Order: sequence, then C-alpha cells, then structure tokens
Amino acid sequence: MPTIDDFIRPKEWVSDFVTDIGKVLRDWGRDKYLPVRQKIDEDWREHRLVKPLLKEVLVDLGINAAFFPYEVGGTDIPDVCTLVCVLGEEGASIDSGFTVACLCSIWPMLPILLKPHRNMELLNEFGPKYCGDKLYVGCNAMTEPAGGADIENIGRMRGKTIQTTAKLDGDEWVINGHKIWPTNSGETANLYGVVCTTKKGSTDLNDFAFIYVPADAKGVSVGGPYQKAGMAADMNTDVWFDQVRVPKRYRAHGPGEDLKYFREMITYGNLASAAMCLGVMKNVYEIIKKWTTERIVAGKPLKEHSMVAAALSEIAILIEATSAWVHMYARQVDRPDIYGTDPWDEKLALKSRGLAVFASQAVEKVCSTAMDYMGSYGYSREFDLEKHWRDSKMSGLWMGGLGLKHLENARYWYELETL
Amino acid sequence: MALYPSQEWCDAWKNAMNNDPACAETGKNWSFDYPGDFLFEIVPGSGLDKTHYLYADIKGGKCLELKMIDDPRNIQPAFYVVGTYGDFKPVVKGEKDFIEGVVRGIFKLRGDTSKIMRNAKFIRAVSASISSFRSEYLGE
Repeated sequence: MPTIDDFIRPKEWVSDFVTDIGKVLRDWGRDKYLPVRQKIDEDWREHRLVKPLLKEVLVDLGINAAFFPYEVGGTDIPDVCTLVCVLGEEGASIDSGFTVACLCSIWPMLPILLKPHRNMELLNEFGPKYCGDKLYVGCNAMTEPAGGADIENIGRMRGKTIQTTAKLDGDEWVINGHKIWPTNSGETANLYGVVCTTKKGSTDLNDFAFIYVPADAKGVSVGGPYQKAGMAADMNTDVWFDQVRVPKRYRAHGPGEDLKYFREMITYGNLASAAMCLGVMKNVYEIIKKWTTERIVAGKPLKEHSMVAAALSEIAILIEATSAWVHMYARQVDRPDIYGTDPWDEKLALKSRGLAVFASQAVEKVCSTAMDYMGSYGYSREFDLEKHWRDSKMSGLWMGGLGLKHLENARYWYELETL
Repeated sequence: MALYPSQEWCDAWKNAMNNDPACAETGKNWSFDYPGDFLFEIVPGSGLDKTHYLYADIKGGKCLELKMIDDPRNIQPAFYVVGTYGDFKPVVKGEKDFIEGVVRGIFKLRGDTSKIMRNAKFIRAVSASISSFRSEYLGE
C-alpha cells in the first residue's frame, strides 16, 4: 500500500541517514507537535507553545548544530541543501509555519556557514551559541516597507531601493533602517542578518552589505506580531535599527562577496520553500486518501468514483513532480563539482524561482482539490486540511511573490534584457 | 603500530577513546537509558580478504569493550555500521570524516538516528579518536 514514503526521492543522492534525520523530525512532530497543532493559531501573539517546541527541534534534536562546523560544536553535515530540503519537507508535513521558523533560524547564517566561504571568525563567535544547550534563533531581515521584492530583485534593482544603511565609523558599522516581515522577528530572534546598503540609492553591487546584528544591541526595537491568515508559528514583526553599532567584523564578507552569498541564500530559500510545499502536499495526500477511502458514497468508497480518482491522481502527480524537481535542484546546489555551477551563481537563483512558483501553485491546487472532495469537512478545523490551506498560501507570497519569481525565472530562460 | 583490523588495533582504539577528554565530556550521557553499542561490518577489498566484524560497547563516554568477533549473529547492537575496508581506511587515517561518510551513504548505519543527532558531538569525538594513534593497513 503506497504511503508518503513511496513518492520519489532519489536514493542515490539522499542517503538513508539523511532520510532518517527527516524521519526523526517527522516522528517528533507526530508525537509532540500534532497534539497541539490546532492550538498554534491561537498562539500567534505570545508563542508560549511555539518557543519551547522550537527549542526541542533546534537544540534537543540537534538541528541547529547539524549545519555548523565541528570546530564550533556542530555536526557539520555535508550536502546542506539536500538536508535543508528533507527537513523542510518533513517539518512542513506537520506544520509549515513552524518549519519556516526552524529553517529561517539558520538561513541568515548561510553566507558565513557554507563551504567554501566560511567565515570562521564569525562562526567561532556565533556557532557555540547556536550549538549550545539554550535556544538561539536567527532572523533574516531583508524586506522593507518600500518593497520587499525590489530588494530581492538584485539582478535589476541592484540594491538601489535598499533604505537600511550601514555606515562605517572607525571599527564599527552604524546601522539605521526599518525592516518588515522577517521570520523569527519580535521577541524570537537572538541574531539578525540585516540586508543594508553602504550608499543609499547606489546600484554598485559592492555597496550591498549583509551585516549581523545581535537582537539585544542598543538601538534595536521590534513591533508587535502580525496577525495573519495562517503560519502562526512563524512570528513576523517590524524591526527598527536606530543608530545600532556593531563591530566591523560583523559584515559577512565584504564588498561584492556579501551579494554573491546573499544570492546563494535566495537559492536555498527557493528550494526550502518548495520542499515545504512538498511536505504539506504529502500530509494532504494522507488526509485525502484516508477520507476518500473511509467515506462511502453510493455504496462504495469515494475514491472509487472516476471523477474523484482523477482528482486524486492529479494530487499524486503534483507531489511526484515537485519531489523530483526539488531533489534535482538540491543536488545541483550541493554538487558543483558535477554540475559545474557554483551554488551562488545567479543562474541557480533565477531558475530555482521557477521551482518555487511551481511548488507554491501545486500546494494551493492540492489543498484546494482535497477540500473540494472533503466538502465542508475539509473547511473545518477538525481535519487539519484547512490549516495547511491557510498556511501554505504564504509560500507563494514570500520572497518576492509570484511576480518576481516568474520574472526572474523568465529572465534566466529567455535572457530578458529589460525586465 | 597495530594492524587495522586486529584485536591489537581494537585495544589501541579502546585505549585512545578512554584517554580522550573529548569522548569523556561529550559522551557522559551516552547509553545510560538506552543501548549504545556498535557493530562494524568491514566488507572485503583494498587488501582485506574476508568480512571482519568489530564490536564496541560504549557507555558514558567510556569504551567498555572493543573486540573482533567471528560470528555477529548472536549480537543485537544498537547501531550497525557497514562499509568497505577501502572506505574505512581513510577514516582510520583521519583523512575522511565518518559522519560525512554516513550522510553520503558510503557507510550504512542502522539504528536510532535521533540518538546520533542528539549526540553528534560524541560521535565526532569517537570517530576522531580512531585516527589519534598510528595504524598499519592491509594492502599498503
């Protein structure tokens, strides 16, 4: 009898061990998270439930440490992109909002964490905190009130619209600006990775800066959590940086290099986003399979009616296609020695947008189709489908939304020159 | 210098593990409320002519027993690791990383992965101790 584990996942690339790590997260989620999953929506403001659960995953299960070098207390697991995708998928099958919070904790560290461009000075400083016994959470502060998509649209906007400034004053950066929407903002984050410009209005890519700011630095303040349709485990607030001073060494790499590895971070974001959509779809598969098997209509299970079977087929096709695509791209990122493309290459950032679009549309379709055949039951909280339906909509909106994703994908495949 | 694999080599690794402060510190909670023994199956090749089995019983950061065994059928280890001699050699030499080998599927590891994840620092320390003394190798 096929289960979610029968959807394609290339065993040549995803080892049993990595699959098992994913199952550790899945088992933890089914044991610890599912009993409270329906209560998470009410926890959006306080995160009284979410924060201890974050600690269980990031600290107790060793997920934070998995990504850090051995020298700073981590496990140093290779093939990071594949691991991210497996964790994203397994976590999102439980709760995509919670999984975003977990993965976005690591996200801003990628520019200094990934080989071969590790910044060991900063890893020696932040790594032991991430790998310690207490919860330590990161937050990637990119989006600004003037337009999030513009900041991520590096290829065309070239940092021109970034309003958050970083000015060097002796041995310190002085940061001023206002960010909105970052995952793990509010009272959650301990460390921000902040997208800045060293010269407002500049299109010189050397002026793009990625600078780490401890959340308790003087001049950092946050607003209240946004109340959203879903993804309640992912806390989003405004963040202000008012004359915030951090050491000069807190810049990830330096002129040109920051942008290069920011681009790599975008690629990872696209893949993780798609993997999370995949995880949601797999759980929806389980829900709708159970429902259409047990629900008897006109003397036979609902799934035995041809029209329903066709819809169920479409769900399976979308899951299978997304899974194959996710792992194919993850492999490309992890193995530049085979594919000949550096993980920070613009090509990967652009074309992985296509995957992000496909997966976000697939998950919407899958949730909606499943709901069509569950009827009002699917719309009620009891069956968990409506939570996935609300939560997963966000995956098509973040990181520049549908517009930027399509535009960048087309920019790569059609060599657009004006867009 | 002990030949890998041999009982003499097992004794040397046990000694290295038990004198390694990193193993003692990071493994102090290992195997107290769950079994934490390992069975390594070393598949022939690269100078090794037949399958060898190596059993390690580790608890609280200390190696209690490390021995070559002929017949693994009566052993139910918590963790079962399978790899070729050619793949184990670079790990023993300290040239390759054991966890990387497991993650990449070069070594097959059966057992409770959550224990490995939760105690990754200890597993690292144990695998580092394997190359902390000089060894001789078949086929070289």
